[in-house]
Amino acid sequence: MASNVVVVLDNGGGLIKAGIGGERDPTAVVPNCTARPLSSKKFLLADQLLSPTEDLTSAVLRRPFDRGYLINHDLQSTIWSHIFSSLLHITPSSSSLLLTEPLFNLPSIQRATDEIVFEEFNFKSLFVSDSPSLVHLYEASRRPYDVVSKAQCSLVVDVGFSFTHAAPVFQNFTVNYGVKRMDLGGKALTNYLKELVSYRSINVMDETFLMDDVKEKLCFVSTDVARDLQIARRRGSDNYFRCTYVLPDGITHTKGFIKDPVEAQRFLKLSEDGELPHSEGTEEADQTEVKSKPSERNKVDLTKNEFSLSNERFLVPEMIFRPADLGMNQAGLAECIVRAVNSCHPHLHPVLYESIILTGGSTLFPGFAKRLENELRPLVPDVYQVKITTQEDPILGVWRGGSLLASSDSFISSYLEGKD
Amino acid sequence: MDDDVSNSLRRMSTRARKVAPKMVAALASTDNRTQAILARLEALENDNPGAEVVEPNDDDDASLDEDDDQVYHKKQSKGTKRKTRQAKALETAKKAPRTFLELLHDANLESLPPHVPSYLRAAVGPPSSTCRRHFCTVCGFSAKYTCVRCGMRFCAARCQNIHNDTRCLKFVA
Repeated sequence: MASNVVVVLDNGGGLIKAGIGGERDPTAVVPNCTARPLSSKKFLLADQLLSPTEDLTSAVLRRPFDRGYLINHDLQSTIWSHIFSSLLHITPSSSSLLLTEPLFNLPSIQRATDEIVFEEFNFKSLFVSDSPSLVHLYEASRRPYDVVSKAQCSLVVDVGFSFTHAAPVFQNFTVNYGVKRMDLGGKALTNYLKELVSYRSINVMDETFLMDDVKEKLCFVSTDVARDLQIARRRGSDNYFRCTYVLPDGITHTKGFIKDPVEAQRFLKLSEDGELPHSEGTEEADQTEVKSKPSERNKVDLTKNEFSLSNERFLVPEMIFRPADLGMNQAGLAECIVRAVNSCHPHLHPVLYESIILTGGSTLFPGFAKRLENELRPLVPDVYQVKITTQEDPILGVWRGGSLLASSDSFISSYLEGKD
Repeated sequence: MDDDVSNSLRRMSTRARKVAPKMVAALASTDNRTQAILARLEALENDNPGAEVVEPNDDDDASLDEDDDQVYHKKQSKGTKRKTRQAKALETAKKAPRTFLELLHDANLESLPPHVPSYLRAAVGPPSSTCRRHFCTVCGFSAKYTCVRCGMRFCAARCQNIHNDTRCLKFVA
């Protein structure tokens, strides 16, 4: 039946993931915002922002989400209608919608969302789900012999755009009294990085898209902050973290890029004691390169429109583990997980610790899972195992779960609620 | 001593007793500092942090429609009818979507019985250990010292000078 199309929409604060239920990947992964470049009077929507020809320098941003919750329904429906008509090519009146909503969504927001879905878009039916249960569903189906699916429960850690949730899931339902939230996510990290770079080298307060890119490409989670701070203090090529990002100049390149990708990846090879393994060939090459242009390295960056990062690269994601360092009166991620588990029934504790699933775009920082395990282990009774798995694609995990749910037979018959 | 330093609020209160009354006034009050911290966290959630200079009316002129310019002209012609500042403010307040905090306030979650999980109860709560690392706001390395005027951290005299010259009291209104 052609009329049984289920549109799966993971309506995140940062990215909208939209597609047809049953497919493996969403048709569209677009920013959930509109932006107006300085040069024009028109706001660009969703996928238009991704086109390489648009110059988004100092663009004014508008997002329908504030602190993870939908506040601007007019803007959201504009974005949705654009996605439905020009990206998904569906007719809402003959399809159903599977929508994700943040945990503890406010009743007033839910009402307004229902209104848009039924009155403005005229969908046949709507099913609202939350992200942790979808992530659990997807992981359980992927690993049928794992604890996740055998025990039918898992602990989903979703480090999202606006906030971070640790949510226990039991029998495909999110245990809502066990959910713990930190008010820190990707957006705050980007803004923090912006603040640091703007103060220390060049003003990038307006360049959200650019700094998102810098954050995604260069930031990583340190496993030993004290050691890495010492390394970041060194000068010259002994500072394994220093790397340079070149800003777009609008003529030869419209996107910013890392000046020396090899240099930027050096931290991955660091051994426990903080030294690089000596591979003579590359070392030699590095040396000569440095010697050939020592003056260039020390030059003021401002003239060439580039900035270099060193300790910022790991101090920014560090905030997820210690929000107190920012002056935020909230516990870090490891403690957040422990509290979420402790609020569940004691019989679930060992299983939950053994089935921690990381999802959300901010878990993509290299070293995230390792650091989390290092911090979590001392907090967990040692009779329990701690096992942390990162989703294969943390950004799309929720959507894939939704797609799976939408394609199951029982979904059509049992879950969908019609108009009222 | 180390403990004292780690908790800036406590440290300030002991210090205020020791110094002369005039000096007390010169030192920022603890309240100011908590305000500064809140302002800072607020700034991290801001979509357009650099846009403070942009006039709020600027946004109204821009729309998503194709016939953008026409709308713009109409608005200008309408603008000849003078509005009082208050009426204008009211109008923009109506137009602007309400922030999440306002919606949260309206939802009145505090009135729920304590066993019902809600947005407020899901917050993770304060950390178990109060120790806090401090990073120099200028260079990012661990910071020993606190600026006496605004409470920001710095690690050395060099950084202190930079701090004083550039953004001392930035987040204090």
